[in-house]
Amino acid sequence: MGAPALDSARIGELAASVPDDVRSREAVFAIRDLSVRYENVLALADTTLHIHKNAVTAFIGPSGCGKSTFIRCLNRMNDVIPGAKVSGEVLYHGRDLYGADVDPVEVRRRIGMVFQKPNPFPKSIYDNIAFGPRVLGMKKDLDERVERVLRHAALWDEVKDRLNENALGLSGGQQQRLCIARAIAVEPDVILMDEPASALDPISTARIEDLIHDLKGEYTIAIVTHNMQQAARVADLTAFFSVQLDDGGARHGVLVEYDLTTKIFTTPGDKRTEDYVTGRFG
Amino acid sequence: MPRVEYQNSLDALEASFQETGEIVLRAVQGVVDALRSQDVELCDEVIAFDDEVDSRYLSIETDVEMLLARQTPVATDLRLVLAVLHGAIHLERMGDQCVTIAKLTKISSHLGPRGAVIESLVDMGDRCQHMVRVALDSFARRDAAGARSLNDLDELVDRANRQVFEQVLGYADQPDVLEWGMRQITVARCFERIGDNAVDIGEQTAFLVTGEFSEFTDASR
Repeated sequence: MGAPALDSARIGELAASVPDDVRSREAVFAIRDLSVRYENVLALADTTLHIHKNAVTAFIGPSGCGKSTFIRCLNRMNDVIPGAKVSGEVLYHGRDLYGADVDPVEVRRRIGMVFQKPNPFPKSIYDNIAFGPRVLGMKKDLDERVERVLRHAALWDEVKDRLNENALGLSGGQQQRLCIARAIAVEPDVILMDEPASALDPISTARIEDLIHDLKGEYTIAIVTHNMQQAARVADLTAFFSVQLDDGGARHGVLVEYDLTTKIFTTPGDKRTEDYVTGRFG
Repeated sequence: MPRVEYQNSLDALEASFQETGEIVLRAVQGVVDALRSQDVELCDEVIAFDDEVDSRYLSIETDVEMLLARQTPVATDLRLVLAVLHGAIHLERMGDQCVTIAKLTKISSHLGPRGAVIESLVDMGDRCQHMVRVALDSFARRDAAGARSLNDLDELVDRANRQVFEQVLGYADQPDVLEWGMRQITVARCFERIGDNAVDIGEQTAFLVTGEFSEFTDASR
């Protein structure tokens, strides 16, 4: 079967639609001179950038470039790593995320995270979603909340008849969508995704990518990916990190270029970005 | 450097484009010679030769489709692939213009007074050949300034086109020359289009080098 024909009544509207520049939107995160050290070894140096509201921002780069380290700073996940030291400034809606008065637990509710490997709790599908809201006292209309977020994560039709079954019985792709549903169940503002589709087959990957497109209307999304075409497909803005050698031969991550995804994949401004996106890196 | 096979495919694609350009240059040379000598046999050769241009163009189009499907080029690579595809279309159009010139020369060779009009057309053809050469070389060298110089060269071709028109108007009082004259105006128009196509290739070179596409001149010129 061929592709459906374009609806002729909508040609004018479709042809006139121009995406706005997401950089004009509010900065959810304003990051300045962010560096991270593990046991005094520099992992990421002097990163400055803004992450904009209701946009998808992708972080790409070779292994060891600090991209995962970077997004882990955005919900203070590095706090739980012994010897990790974060310096510089991370403003979240203008507030210092690392301020003494900030509760890391509240930070992680507002700024959810989805990891590379789906990690549902070994509990029922229902409880995986309901757990976070229950802990946070969002107990009202819990059934409705579970249905709403499962629908939002494009999973409801597949699981509605087996909500009480163990989540570990779901396929990898379904588990990952469940983890996304779990993240949005506590009404976050931002969703961080660290390689969310790298362990999934192409169809599950496409579902996750569709979901990312749907979710950005309500959430701000930051995604780390090794898959450059995935960044090209889903992200409004793309940041390219690379590895830099210092005089002593130690390696650390640096932000090389941050721009509209269309620019990064058509006319990147830095030779290192060009070499990476065209696959000539290394 | 990784992606050796990919780089080989890109190199081969660009080589095909340049080779197609050389074939088109031969076609332009062919029609200029045929005009100069009013050689009907040479006209037939140019007409038959166009199949070669067309098949080269189709092969480039297939190669581009394969590259896009299999290698997902981005950045400079993507611009190269797009510029080659567009450039190849312009070369193919030039081949078609040569066919039209050859056909017109063939059917009007026994009709006209020749003379200054033919000299002007030969001059146009020489200028077009030079433009195609500049277009191909500046593409190969990624020379945006060279590509931009095509604009000035095209202005001279346009001027020569207007001159042929004036020259043919000079025969207005000779009804028996009318058919011949109209056909020569069409020949001039074909050369003028070849010049435009060379400028179009120049615009692709500028896009390849700078990443921004713009027409060198607006439609008023």
